[in-house]
Order: sequence, then C-alpha cells, then structure tokens
Amino acid sequence: MSPHGAPECGGGRTVRRRAVRSLRVAILLAAVGASLHAQPAESRTARVERAEAAARRGDRAAATRDANALLAEYRRGGSGWSARDHVAAGRAYLLVSSSDASAVRSALRAFDAGTAADSTFVEAALRASDLLLDKYNGPDAQVGYQAVLRRSPKHPWATLGLARVMEFSGQGDALAKAREAVELDARLVPAHLFIAKLHLEAERNDSALVAARKALAVDSSAIDAWAVVGAVAWVTGDSAGYRAARARAERLSPAPAAFYVTLSEAAARQRRYGDAERFAEQALAMDSLSVPALGAVGTNQLRTGDIAAGRARIERAFAIDPFNLWHKNTLDLLDVLGGFRTVRLGRFEFVATAREAEVLLPYLAPLLEEAYDKLAARYDYRPAAPIRLEIYQRHADFSVRTVGLTGLGALGVSFGRVLAMDAPSARDPGTFNWGSTAWHELAHTFTLGLSANRVPRWFSEGASVLEERRARRGWGAEATGAYLSALRANFLRPVSQLNDGFVRPRNPMEVGLSYYHASLVCEMIESQFGAGALAAMLRGWRDGWTTEQVFARVLKTALPAFDTRFDAWVKAKFDGVQLAAEPAGDAAIAPIRDEVLAREVAKDDRGLADALERLLWIWPYDVASHVKLAEASARLGDHATAVRERRVILALGPTDVLGARVELARALLGAGDRAAARREVLGILEQAPTFEKAQLLLLDIRKAAPPGGAP
Amino acid sequence: MMRRGLAALLLSVVTASVLSAQRTHAVIITGLGGEPQYSTAFAAQGAALRTIARTQWRAADSSVIWLAEDAAKDPEQRAMRATKDAVAQAFLRLSQRVGPGDMVVVVLIGHGSGEGAGSRVNLPGVDPTAGDFAAWLSGFARQTVVFVAAASASGDFVTTLKGPNRIVLAATRTPFERNESRFSEHFVRGFQNAEADTDKDGRLTVLESFAYATRETAKVYETARQMLTEHAVVSDSVLAARVVYAAAVSSGDPRVVALVAERKALEEQLEALRKRKETLPPAEYEAELERLLLAIAEKTAAIRAAGGTP
Repeated sequence: MSPHGAPECGGGRTVRRRAVRSLRVAILLAAVGASLHAQPAESRTARVERAEAAARRGDRAAATRDANALLAEYRRGGSGWSARDHVAAGRAYLLVSSSDASAVRSALRAFDAGTAADSTFVEAALRASDLLLDKYNGPDAQVGYQAVLRRSPKHPWATLGLARVMEFSGQGDALAKAREAVELDARLVPAHLFIAKLHLEAERNDSALVAARKALAVDSSAIDAWAVVGAVAWVTGDSAGYRAARARAERLSPAPAAFYVTLSEAAARQRRYGDAERFAEQALAMDSLSVPALGAVGTNQLRTGDIAAGRARIERAFAIDPFNLWHKNTLDLLDVLGGFRTVRLGRFEFVATAREAEVLLPYLAPLLEEAYDKLAARYDYRPAAPIRLEIYQRHADFSVRTVGLTGLGALGVSFGRVLAMDAPSARDPGTFNWGSTAWHELAHTFTLGLSANRVPRWFSEGASVLEERRARRGWGAEATGAYLSALRANFLRPVSQLNDGFVRPRNPMEVGLSYYHASLVCEMIESQFGAGALAAMLRGWRDGWTTEQVFARVLKTALPAFDTRFDAWVKAKFDGVQLAAEPAGDAAIAPIRDEVLAREVAKDDRGLADALERLLWIWPYDVASHVKLAEASARLGDHATAVRERRVILALGPTDVLGARVELARALLGAGDRAAARREVLGILEQAPTFEKAQLLLLDIRKAAPPGGAP
Repeated sequence: MMRRGLAALLLSVVTASVLSAQRTHAVIITGLGGEPQYSTAFAAQGAALRTIARTQWRAADSSVIWLAEDAAKDPEQRAMRATKDAVAQAFLRLSQRVGPGDMVVVVLIGHGSGEGAGSRVNLPGVDPTAGDFAAWLSGFARQTVVFVAAASASGDFVTTLKGPNRIVLAATRTPFERNESRFSEHFVRGFQNAEADTDKDGRLTVLESFAYATRETAKVYETARQMLTEHAVVSDSVLAARVVYAAAVSSGDPRVVALVAERKALEEQLEALRKRKETLPPAEYEAELERLLLAIAEKTAAIRAAGGTP
C-alpha cells in the first residue's frame, strides 16, 4: 500500500449521495430567501469563464483570485443559488483544486446541487460526469451521460461523454461515437479535439491534423488544437510547421503549458523519452502546478532510469491530484521497487527481488553480456553502460511500470537503456521464454539507441525478433499456419504500412503476425543488401531521414518498389510450404521434458544437459531439474555449471538446506575451489557439527590439501 | 557377500546396543474420508505411521494402536475400527501400559469441524470431541504427550489440549480454516526422508517434524499458486524443540561408549568456542573451528569403524 493514500476516484457515488442529503436541508433553509440572494446567473457564469480564460492563458494567480471571490459568495449563501450558479461554483472549485484537492469533492457537490436545483439543467449533470471521468470513475460518469441521453437522445455533449467513457474503458468504438457527437454538433470543439487526440495516439497524423483544423475552424484560440498541430509537425519532422504552431500557441497564452504536455505525450509515443521529458519540463517551467506536466516529467525520468527524480515528480503530482490513478499506481510500484535488490554485473544493472536475482542472474547476466557483444558487433554500436533491467515477479507491477495501469499483455519493454520484463514466475510455466524475451528487449536498446529513438516500431520489433532467432536454436517466432494463411490471403501489410500492423491492428491477431512479418523484412534486407544494411538504416533514421529517404538512400530503392520486392521474396520463401504441425514455440515445456526423460534413459549426459539448459529458460524454479543438471554437469566434468546449479538450488529454498550446501561444497571441490569448499563445509558443520555427510566431505577436503598447504 | 556383511553389521549394532528406559507409544486414528480419494489417503498415512512408529520411534508392536475408518482393509488385520468407544478403550488400555517418562504420540487424521472443546474429527459413528480427548489424556500426566491434530478446522484442539509436558500440533490456526488440509500428508513424509532433520544430528525433534510439514504444506499451495488456507500451529515450541520421537540408543560396547564420550567432549568444546566467536579474531576462530570439526569427524569415523552408531 502506498503511503500516499488511496485515490478516491471510486467514491463518487458516496460523495454524491452525501451531497444530495445535505442539499435537502440546504434547499429548505434557502427556499424562503432564495430570491433575495439571487443575482443574475449569467454574471456568475461569466465570472467563472473569465477565471477559466485566465487559467488557459497561464495566469493562475488571476484565475485563483477570481474563483476564490466567487466561492466566498457561494460559501456564504450559495445554497439558494440557481442551478446555473451552482455549476459556476463547481467550475470555480475546479480552478482552485490544484492547491486544494478537497475542492474536487466540493465541485462535485456543487454540480449535484445544480441538478437538484433544476433537473432540466443538464449541464450540471454533464459537468459532474465529466469530472467523474476526469477522476477515473468511468462507470459513474457513464451513468450520468446515459441519464442525460435518456432525456435528450441527441445531446452532443453527452454523446461525446460516452465516447470518452469508451476510450477510458477500452470498450466500444470511441472514435465512431465521437464522430456521432460531431454530426450532432459540428461546432463542438471538444469533440474535434478528442477525435484529433485519438488519431494522434494511433499515429494517424494526417487524420489528427484534419480534426485539429476543424476545431480551429470553430475556435482559433483552442490551444489544445494548436498543440495537436504542433505535435504532428514535430513527429513528422516538419520543423517550420512546428514553429508556426508553437508561435500561435504562445500568442494565445504566454505560457502554453498544455501545448508542451501534448508534445511530450507525442514524443513518448514515438519512444523519444528524452524529448518527452524535455517538453514536459518546458510545460512545468510555465506552470509548476500542472499535474500532467509533473506526471510526464516523472514518468519519462523513470523510463530513462532517473528513478529518484522521477519519483519526486510523481509524488508532487499526486500531492496535487490524489485522484490520479496512473500516479497512484506508479508510486505503489516504486514502493515495491524499493524492496528489490539492485545488482551491478558487468554492463548491466539488474533490479529484482533477492530471490529472483539469485535464481535468474546466474543465467541472465552471461546471456546478456553475450547478447551485448554480438549486437554491438552487428550494429557497430555500443550503448553506454549500465543498462538497467527490472524484473517483476508480479505481472501487474510490470504492467504498471510500462503503461501505468494493469492489464498489459506484453512480456517485456525497452525504454532504451532501461528494460523491464516479467520474471518467469509472473506467468504460468510454459507461457514464455524469459531468455529470448530478455534478448529481444536488449536488441531494442541497440536499435533505439543507434537511431536516437527514431526507428519506426515495425523495424525495431522486426530486428528484435530476428535477433531472438539468431540467439539460440528454437528461440524467436517461426512461421505458423496463421501466418501462412494471412500471407497467402494478402492480409499482411506492405512494408510501407507495416507500422499500422502494430499501432492499428485490424484484428487481435495482426500484431503477433506483424512481429514475425517485420522480422522477415529485416532478414530479407540483411540477406539482399548486406550485413551492415540494418545498422545503416538505423543511422539514417538517427539523422532525421524519413522512412522513404532511408530506403532510397541506404537500400537505393523506393519504398513502393521495395514493397513489391519484399512481397515477391516472402511469397517465394514460403511457396508451397505446408506445415506438418504448428511450431511448438520457444516456451513449450512438454517436448523438452520428454527429451530430458529420453536422454536420462539413454544416459546421454551431454544431450541431457543441453535439454535441461533449454528447459531452464522457460521455467527455472524446478529444483529437480537443477539437481539433474548439476549431476549431469559434474559427470561431464563441467564443474562450473555444477557449481552454478548448486547455488541456484540453494536460492530456490530447498527443504534440506544443509544437504544442498554439502552438495555445493562438493561441487566447489570438484571445480578445484578447495578454499570455497572448505569455507562452505565449515559453515555447515558450525551449525550442524554431527552432520556425517559434511564431516566426510571435510575429511576429503583435508585430503585434497596441497602438501604443506592449509589443513 | 556384501549383503551378508551388512547383515552381520546390523546384528552387531542390535546386540551391542541397549534401548533407553524411555519408551514410545503411538495411537494413530484415521477418520472418515468421505470420498474414496481421502479414505485411501488417510489409510495410507495411517499404515505408514504405524511402520514409522515401529521402526523409527522404536515402539513395541503392542504399543502401536491404529484405529481406522475401515479396519478390514488393514493388510495386517491389526487395526481397529475408529469408533468413539474404540478410541476411549485404546487410551484406557494404553494408560495401563505406560511408565513414568514414557512418550505417547497421538496422531489424528481426517476432516475436522466444530469449535472450542467441541472441535471434532469425523469418525465412524459419534465423533469424539477435543474435550473427550482431553479427558482421555488426563491419564497420562507422567508421560510426555505429543498430540497431532492433522485435520481441517483443528485449531481449537491446541487450546483445549495444551498443558504441562504436552505438545499439541494442529494443522490449522483456527477452527475456521475448513478447507481440505494437506498437513497430514507432509507430517508423515517428514519421517520418510532425511530432509526434516534440519540440524542433521540424526534425531528428529517434534519441532523439526512440525516445521517440515508446515513448510512443505505451504509449498504445495505456492506451487499451485493458491492462497494458503491452512496455517499449522504448535502449542509449545520450546518443549517441541527438545522432544524427540525416539529416545537415543546407547551402545553396550565400551570402545564405542568411550568414543562417543570423547566426541561429546569435543562437541562441548565446539559449543564453548561458538559462544566466544564474537570475541576472537576471525582467523583464530576459523582455525580452531576447523581443528575441532576435524576431530569430531574423525571420532565419528572411529565410532563407525568400531561398529557404533554415531
């Protein structure tokens, strides 16, 4: 549990019920004198709108001053105000909520009071629902929007609200619903902006631009729309367009923090985390209380490995807005990380629980060193050390680390020189191969780093899958029946559109198919354009070339022509290929277990050790497998492996700890490390002096002493 | 040739050894399974415990009583049906056989229910309660009693039965942990391998067997990624750490007796050294530690060579 307190985003119903109860009394008291206190409703609305405009300009002091003036009146005699004035008060509360989190609840009460005062004034209910949704209470917000739609089925604002709920919950077609809202009211700027941001998130930059322009056609002062225009320009390398959009935003507000927050988000989506952090810092310099800016700085610092600074920023954001679920989750995760062990080995910094570190690192550290050397040679690029790898034994923690929420389906993520992945224990045995996953993520470190994080996703994923296949026999994706069917049905996207297969899949299978397809593109490039082609392309992206330019300048081919060429290549590769059986994949345990049994029966120690090594990359927690590998290795004279295995057995917490330690000491002696064996056995006998097995080993160790050496 | 040699060695051990005065008695009760899989498992555990009592606890045949759900299925035809009357009779009979200082081990396996003194384990007919067991055990005031309630919902057996010179183990912390218990299976297994003997002194204490069963039970849940729904408890861990299921066997061979005494003296020196560990330079401590441990190891080898059991 985080020390920062739980968010109260789920408490809307309770808050609102309390508000309604207290309101009944308030209405009775105010009924008589309501007319005496009444003021022109528009004046209060106008006042709060002025305050909101000041806030948009970045003049937080003026906004707060005006809002507080209105709220002072509201506290004195607001119970008798009209529905419209209650709403004005609610909006004023939201303006001061950055310095007083309780103001959010007051705002909700004011909106509810507006509805209670006049149930036909739907703006009150809509603002309450918007607020609930802003504070991550999608279900209650949905109820509110639906209530308005029952009364007024074509209400554009409520329709947009439902679109936002759909986007929040990931259920339903948010874009279609938002378009419905625009059809109902083409001048609904928030709907255009919502559509623009949906497009931006899906990297449909042209569509995002169209939607932003529509918003600006209605309201040329919509900074958020200029932010989308600026973000698209920045992402596509249109520096003139970016400067123009920024200038418009700065003309509207001397401190357009929101503009830079949108840019930060766009940069992060492009995996350009350093740029994302820089843009968010600019936003923060303009508005030190901006929760999105604080969150964006903090989140991107965490992604680039500056954990302490990132935590400080997220804590600050959460102190201002304790309803923010992302920040709450992240702080909880950082509490979990605080209990992890950080181990620096070679060029890597591993962060894991003590047990996972002891069990996994004996395998992972040498694997990643090997991977680093091979990738560095292949790409002629050496990322700076240390490369940080966080290993999570709860998938939910990994998911929060990656996207701030639980429920992510991925196994690993690479932010560049910061990697994170599920520990094998985070999933059921046989779910994934943790060795190939780690290799895959480290390959991203090279492709991201060499391209200054500008490599398109399809290429980075394709290269990573290709590198997995090269790492070990059986690792990485292979052609499946589904892939061959998709290929022959021309379902798979051409290279020029392959990114869409990742960010805009047409069905849930397309992402998986695109990984393999992209790996074949990389394979084909390397085979036809030379071993250095992939690295040369990455350097092209690094230098700011577009994908079209990269293909033209490095591969000397236009992208459309390459599409045709690859299509022919891949179809020829699989021409007539029929799979006798679906590939088992690199995480299939059963075939390896069968092989282990067969090798044992055949007394084939070499084959047995090889099979057990492969098994450990899928499920490293089975003590019996480690014992078998230790024994087989000892018989093969591979004492180093035997020692490694005996240490891992101890890390797994065997029932017979002292017995396991004796076996470790024996393995150490076999490996020629008499001193370590002696230390181990003395430690055992210090605890259990009558342990006969250890006594015998101590006598053996003495016998193995060199003449004239230590006893 | 080798087998004959081994048989001769075992014979010499038996003839050269004398049992200590303390005797161990066992009452094993396996309750109703309710389903064939549980009936089979409980019966197998009861049979295994009977063998363990005879071989490892060195209980005389006549001091091992097994009361089972279905006595007819006992291959030895020695078990009795586990009715309340039969259980009462068994305790009465045993109370007439025990001597002062003897040890009485009661293992109750089955499905439990109830609370407080009314806690019970399902047996054929009327179920005896924890209160009934308390009454029956009152006849064993001069013996060390180990009572193992290896059943679901058995937590209140501890509060009902605990007392001086008595160790009560229960598979569950409270009577509300009612799911199927795996404790009995691992309690029995603790006697079937050397892993439960954590200090490797060749003698299994009640606490070691309890810790083993508890640890292995937890592993079952962990491996299956299930929430642990049974938390075993022990009434007196200090006493449990001292009490072993079988008294030590001393040799009748004066050479072995002398060697054992010499080794005992070395162990005492080692104990004294360990107490001084913080006050000695590490190198000095380690050298002395190694010297003593080597000496102890040599004594063990000498005891073996002389036909003794270390």
